[in-house]
Amino acid sequence: MLLTSLLLIPFAGTLALLLWPGGPSPSRLRLITIAILVLQLGMSVAVALAFDTAQAGMQLQERHAWLPGIGLDYALGVDGLSLPLVLINGALTLVSAVITRDIEKRPRIYFAMLLLISGAVNGAFLSENLLLFFLFYELELIPLWLLVSVWGGVNRAYAATKFLIFTAASGMLILGAFLGLALLTGSVDFSLTPVLSDRLAMGGQLWLLGALLIGFGIKIPLVPLHNWLPDTHTQASTPVSVLLAGVLLKLGTYGMLRFGLQLFPEAWAKLAPVLAIWAAISVLYGSLAAIAQTDMKRMVAYSSVGHMGYVLLAAASDTPVSLLGAVFQMVSHGLISALLFLLVGIVYRKTGTRDLAVLRGLLNLERGLPFTGSLMIVAVMASAGLPGMAGFISEFLVFRGSIAEYPVATLLSMVGSGLTAVYFLLLVNRAFFGRLAITPPSADAVADARLDVQLAPVAPRETVPAVALAAAVVVLGLVPSTLGRLSEVATTALASITAIPGGLG
Amino acid sequence: MPIVPAELVHANLSIDREEVQRRLLAGETLLGESADHLVEVVDVLKSYGEVLDAYSINLIYQAEHQFLNPFPIFKYLDGDLNPAKIWRHLNHDRINFEYAEYCQKAMFWHATGGMDAYFDSEAFATNCRRIIAAKSRRDPLLAVLNPLFPGFLPELIRSAATTHALGQFWRVMSDLFLDLAAAEADGRVCTIADVVEFIKNGLVAAAANPIHYGVEVGGQSYWVLPPEAELTFLVDVAVPYVEAVFLRGMPFLGTVSFNAQAQQISPDQAQFTYGALYADPLPSMGSGIPPSLLMQDMYRHLPERLHQWYLERTRGEGDVRVKICMSFQKSMFCVTNAAINGTMPHPLDSSDPEARAANQAYAGAWAQRLGIARTDCLEA
Repeated sequence: MLLTSLLLIPFAGTLALLLWPGGPSPSRLRLITIAILVLQLGMSVAVALAFDTAQAGMQLQERHAWLPGIGLDYALGVDGLSLPLVLINGALTLVSAVITRDIEKRPRIYFAMLLLISGAVNGAFLSENLLLFFLFYELELIPLWLLVSVWGGVNRAYAATKFLIFTAASGMLILGAFLGLALLTGSVDFSLTPVLSDRLAMGGQLWLLGALLIGFGIKIPLVPLHNWLPDTHTQASTPVSVLLAGVLLKLGTYGMLRFGLQLFPEAWAKLAPVLAIWAAISVLYGSLAAIAQTDMKRMVAYSSVGHMGYVLLAAASDTPVSLLGAVFQMVSHGLISALLFLLVGIVYRKTGTRDLAVLRGLLNLERGLPFTGSLMIVAVMASAGLPGMAGFISEFLVFRGSIAEYPVATLLSMVGSGLTAVYFLLLVNRAFFGRLAITPPSADAVADARLDVQLAPVAPRETVPAVALAAAVVVLGLVPSTLGRLSEVATTALASITAIPGGLG
Repeated sequence: MPIVPAELVHANLSIDREEVQRRLLAGETLLGESADHLVEVVDVLKSYGEVLDAYSINLIYQAEHQFLNPFPIFKYLDGDLNPAKIWRHLNHDRINFEYAEYCQKAMFWHATGGMDAYFDSEAFATNCRRIIAAKSRRDPLLAVLNPLFPGFLPELIRSAATTHALGQFWRVMSDLFLDLAAAEADGRVCTIADVVEFIKNGLVAAAANPIHYGVEVGGQSYWVLPPEAELTFLVDVAVPYVEAVFLRGMPFLGTVSFNAQAQQISPDQAQFTYGALYADPLPSMGSGIPPSLLMQDMYRHLPERLHQWYLERTRGEGDVRVKICMSFQKSMFCVTNAAINGTMPHPLDSSDPEARAANQAYAGAWAQRLGIARTDCLEA
């Protein structure tokens, strides 16, 4: 029942918001949503407390037959792979609701959609049935499309449609692979077991895994399937970007590990060298593209493309250390990218622009956004993998776990890690250092020095979520065992599937 | 597009060299006439007067009582070593005397005026030898240092002399600014033109005040700046001070950095434009006085009227030091204006073509330098 509550709370919350009598004000709706999400986070923590870290398999399982004829069971379970992601979903949806302010257009639907996404994501992470996973995977698509297309920026219709087309294709490929698995094995059992694929010839396995990789590769996203992400981020509002980068992209990496690596261990081992090269290309392309951006949000979006490549590298290497690194990277990227988007959102709200050719000197103590700037420096340090922060632990684990398997791809990915420092230093240097100005820099130094800028100050309460995220990034960097303990047994077990010739079957 | 309104982003650049020269020759004030400007200038000068009082007392104390002290750890306490005062000092509940020293160093380094010429004279060298000999008899450290580094102690004495002279200069200016505030309260000063006139009269009245400095070593008095040097307030201290602190200044390191090797800083000190009149009020520490030390000090003594005026604008308390700096800059333009008016070679209404040409050249030379200062603060 514990796991069901993680679905029940947000879904019941969605219904409650939609049916709430009268016309509650946007601020009241926000408070109700926050209360529901606090409850959900509390339940996620309760699941973590009930979780036995020494046990490898699924725990707290709940299983009820739903539509046995088509193999759809209501089967939930949690392990060391999904638990951190459930926790981060709880935390970041709460952050998204907290940082949502001034929603004037249809606030009731906005908050209901936030809850719906959170519930669907929980469902996807907890599903032990392939069809159930697919249902939840598709369920979060429409609310997110609405969040971008109704509450997004000027080009929201274009971005939302692009998002819809790409992720619908992703869903179709994933469903195709799941159905293909059933078709080729002649089974109607969609339970999450690696046994089925063992009955398949290698050719069939490779096709199905290929479809899954492309499907989840769109969601992650991996180059060249990433095209939708920068546009969606640019047009999405800050809370939606936080959710998208922090949680929803993880559905792709989680799916890849859970349904790619775990279901098709033999085919995975065959494809792994290609995947490692794909990861390195993704990392380098994402990083180089980020360097070329002048929109802060697009830069952070491309950094996501690069940083998600580390997860693929770790998954391709498939060692206990690298897989632990993959989980770490999912969590730390979730926290760090959420923090980055949140801070870019504050800058945008205060200055009206995210253009790095326009913003300068925001670190100014008296009239700039000094605290926001300081947090941004913390966030970019974490993203660049500086020791003492979560990014360092995850990148170190990924590289340490992968270098023996794929030294070239790992070294190329390490170059990408260096490039992170390049583009984020460009961002910090351009937007936060120098003389405060919100106009294109002029060639005339005297005229430049006379610019007088009036920015509204950032109220302390506006930075509370960012401070909480920054603290989490530092705590995770200093005490990585908190997360390591949750996942280590599960990732070691996952790595051992392929270590045994022929897989578990 | 930026949400910041264009008129706030693009400061006015219309007050250029020609306009400065025109205002000076027409007898207009450099700072535009407005009720807001009057409040800003009078009240900020009042708080500056209070701060200068403390600076002046401390500089004179340092020059007289910490003279050639190799470890002047209590130099900011004016001889009052009561534990409560030491605690307040350590807790930084105090005036930033460092700023006064900073101005002293700027004056000393730029080294213009009669005092600097006197520092290079034989008479000064003789005084230094006597003082060092007397001091060395009581201080073994100095007795060792002087033969090893013969230029060191005379340089410290020059520095102490500049410190004392600046203390004397600020004594006069402090009283003048506090008198100005009283005159405005009495209704004797009602406009910016009155402010400039009041300051000009004060400077002219003090112009010929002698500047001396003597020290006591072992119960015996020695002159460092004797009356025979004939140093006076206006020419030998006030003008070098304006040159060093208002105009030249020194580049600050900060988030905007200067690359001297790339010639971003002129190799010619006379071309420096980092003084108070060029300073960027934003504390990016780009140039001139950063609104840190002095602004903190003035904030401690801010008159309530001006404080309220600030609270109603921009970020209220949040950027109060920037606003103090902007008001301070306006007031310093008034002081500069008064000094230029007071030293104009001929009356402005003279009909003699030669006198007019001389005035024109004088005003032109000032306009050359002020035209590139932060004149955007001058308009009403």
